Amino acid sequence: MRPFISQLALLGLSSLAVYALIFGVSLIFMPPQRQAVGMDTARASSTLFATEPKYVFLNRSLLNTRHNKVLLLGASNMAVGFKQDKVQQLIRAAEVNNLSVGGSNVTQLRQIVDLVHEVQSREARRHNTFVIGMWYGLFVDDSQRWTTADRQAGDTDIDIERYRYGFFRRTEAGPVAVLPPRWLDLGVHIIHPYLVIDKLVRDATKTIRQMISIAPPGTSDAQRNIKTVSEQDKHRYLAFWRKYMGEGKLSDSQFQTLALLVDEILATGARVIVVDLPIPHWHEQGSPYQSEYRKRAHELLAALSSRSGVSVFQLQDVGEDDEFSDEVHPKPRVAEQWAQQLAVALTDHFGKDGGMNENVASGELPKNALHQLTTVSK
Amino acid sequence: MDLNSLTFLLFAIGVVVLSNCFPSAAGRGTVLALASAMFIGSYASTPLQLVPLLSFLALCFGVVRAVQWRPSRRMVWAGVTTVLLCFVYLKRFSFIDSLPALPFAYVMVGLSYILFRIIHLTVDISQGMLQEKIGPIAFFNYTCNFLSFVSGPIQRYQDFAEVSNKRLRLDDKVVSAAFSRIVGGFVKVAVISGIANHIFNPLVTRLTEQSGGMSMPAMALLFATTAITYVIYLYYNFSGYMDIVIGIGRLIGIDLPENFNKPFSSRNFLEFWSRWHITLSDWFKTYVFNPLMKCMVNRIPSVAMLPALGVIAFFVTFMLMGMWHGTGSVFLIYGLMMGAGASANKLWQVAMPRCLGKQRYKALCGGVMYPWLCSGMTCAWFALGLACFWLELPQFTFLAQSLGVLGIIFAFCVLTLASAIILGLTRYASGRLAPLASRMAARARGVVVHNMMLGTRVVIIGLVLSFFHKAPEFVYRAF
Repeated sequence: MRPFISQLALLGLSSLAVYALIFGVSLIFMPPQRQAVGMDTARASSTLFATEPKYVFLNRSLLNTRHNKVLLLGASNMAVGFKQDKVQQLIRAAEVNNLSVGGSNVTQLRQIVDLVHEVQSREARRHNTFVIGMWYGLFVDDSQRWTTADRQAGDTDIDIERYRYGFFRRTEAGPVAVLPPRWLDLGVHIIHPYLVIDKLVRDATKTIRQMISIAPPGTSDAQRNIKTVSEQDKHRYLAFWRKYMGEGKLSDSQFQTLALLVDEILATGARVIVVDLPIPHWHEQGSPYQSEYRKRAHELLAALSSRSGVSVFQLQDVGEDDEFSDEVHPKPRVAEQWAQQLAVALTDHFGKDGGMNENVASGELPKNALHQLTTVSK
Repeated sequence: MDLNSLTFLLFAIGVVVLSNCFPSAAGRGTVLALASAMFIGSYASTPLQLVPLLSFLALCFGVVRAVQWRPSRRMVWAGVTTVLLCFVYLKRFSFIDSLPALPFAYVMVGLSYILFRIIHLTVDISQGMLQEKIGPIAFFNYTCNFLSFVSGPIQRYQDFAEVSNKRLRLDDKVVSAAFSRIVGGFVKVAVISGIANHIFNPLVTRLTEQSGGMSMPAMALLFATTAITYVIYLYYNFSGYMDIVIGIGRLIGIDLPENFNKPFSSRNFLEFWSRWHITLSDWFKTYVFNPLMKCMVNRIPSVAMLPALGVIAFFVTFMLMGMWHGTGSVFLIYGLMMGAGASANKLWQVAMPRCLGKQRYKALCGGVMYPWLCSGMTCAWFALGLACFWLELPQFTFLAQSLGVLGIIFAFCVLTLASAIILGLTRYASGRLAPLASRMAARARGVVVHNMMLGTRVVIIGLVLSFFHKAPEFVYRAF
């Protein structure tokens, strides 16, 4: 028995010693960065967190403030359509945070909201305004969406981050927190070397991963602004969404989850703005899901808009085919118009006392708008 | 219980501690039986799911006892046939689809390996090679030992009983070596096979779902890359698993047999199978090849026909061994490919000395290029055959049709060349680095350096596991 116990202890101690050594080196090599005001998942790849879900999961303690907060929530078209910095420049009544994660469905949005609530005080939750961008892709069923070979069936991208570093453990009833939410930042410090190495490996292997289709190829804003969608692309995109959504109709449970999500947000004293996101006309006409989505979204939005604390926001004069760089994402130049329209809606939402920056009306955007946040105490 | 999980590690630590608390043969036997029962129970969510497996075990025990009671040939045939029929039914082989299945899901893990052990027991008892009377606990521990329940190795009962009857004594040297083996096994499974799996998954998706507009050479290259990645994944996954269970076995006084011996250093297909999944190959050699050969020689007692009979026996043995790997029709193709590889290899070995003369053939085999090329071809054929493990029959057919005969030959040539170059360079590099490795090994004998190296590996395992969404499963669990 003694040889076994002593060897087990030696292994544990030596592993700790090696980890401590790597920890020290990683701190010197890449010290923890102080996060700027306003979370933005679009910047995730340039941070230590590297991916959108990991960025949201590990960085969310920033949201535990008593500032008014606008929390943009949706899939990648939400992040591309409402760029955090553009919206923030136009709003001074609130801190704008983009928590949109590419490929999300409603289940994942609900998980993100749960994670945000988990780290926020009751007071901080009251200052949330969730802006939820919806379109038909958001209503893909869990059994269809979360079944790739590289994950446990049913695990969302957020679930994967919950389990990745052992902050949560898997149970039959779902993920259970191992690390108390108040210790999240400490946990992030402890795993710093893993984050550094993960980031370095991702950056170093990006080209290889693109070659074997693990990572999507990157495109610049300039490229996306001039991109035209060919007929071949359209067929490819439509085929992709048919496969992505599965056969049949949109998921009933996802519509129910969205209604529940709104209930949960309202119960905290926060507010919700639902944005109906446009897609190109050719996509609307070619997709077998769009007509069902239109009908069900109309019913849902009508029900939601009658509730106190919920606003429904429709973008005006958008949706022309040449405004999109692909089948769902607006071109960067169009994103500025979207941001302006959202800013107007948010100004109405927050009231005139802390509304839109005056320069918006004249078309001039303040360069340092990000630092002009106003704390609204209630 | 996933063998790659923290739960299994804690479970194994518990078993080691308990085995050392009760080091007598009886004490260890009881601990092993309880541990194995818990391990198997972890695969079921309701007791009902275990009923078919337990019934199968009871039947097997009855057969073994019956053969012990009356070790006649008829009894052996009746017993083995009954067990085989039950096995085929419980495993739901595709050719019995028309038979009604049990109306509930049940545990199927480990059935194949139980079957191998039962056939070994009954045959050896009937031949007088096993005199000892086997009690129920010894039977359960032998057939359901949690270390070898899922994927082997297939140990002879005589060897198992010999070590099980000894008192457990651990010393620093044994423990240190066992820890090295276990940690090394986890490095193979979690790190190397994990990375290979991470590369393999998108490749196979691309090959099966997005290769529509590809040219034949591009598709063949993609297929070759996918196939070789799977071989790397499978080898490190399975051999890593073996390292883990052999290491844990040593800590509880069970010496499990080795299952791998540098298979990719083989210079031909038959040698490959004597180095890959060794205990399975040995089992088939003992219980299929030898009896079949004996039977054929008895019927055709001609020395001139011996090589031809050998070719037939190799084909049948390897075909059965291939088919054993799965219940679907695609495994028939795998079996035929393995059979064809083995018999072609045997034919070549018979024909070449006749054509070239023994001396020239020996000189050819002793050269540099020929063995390299043979190693490459062996690896390439194995990789081609393994495509049956990762393709469903419709995908396999689609791919074969898309590639065509030329495409498959092209892919085979690419695989041969790539394997020959990689294996050749690896051999060259390991030869050059051998002195450095032995110097490092000598330094690593010190407690501090040794443990720091182990600690580094543990940290690397944790790091790589955190990269992936899910740890790679043990592939052979499925067989």
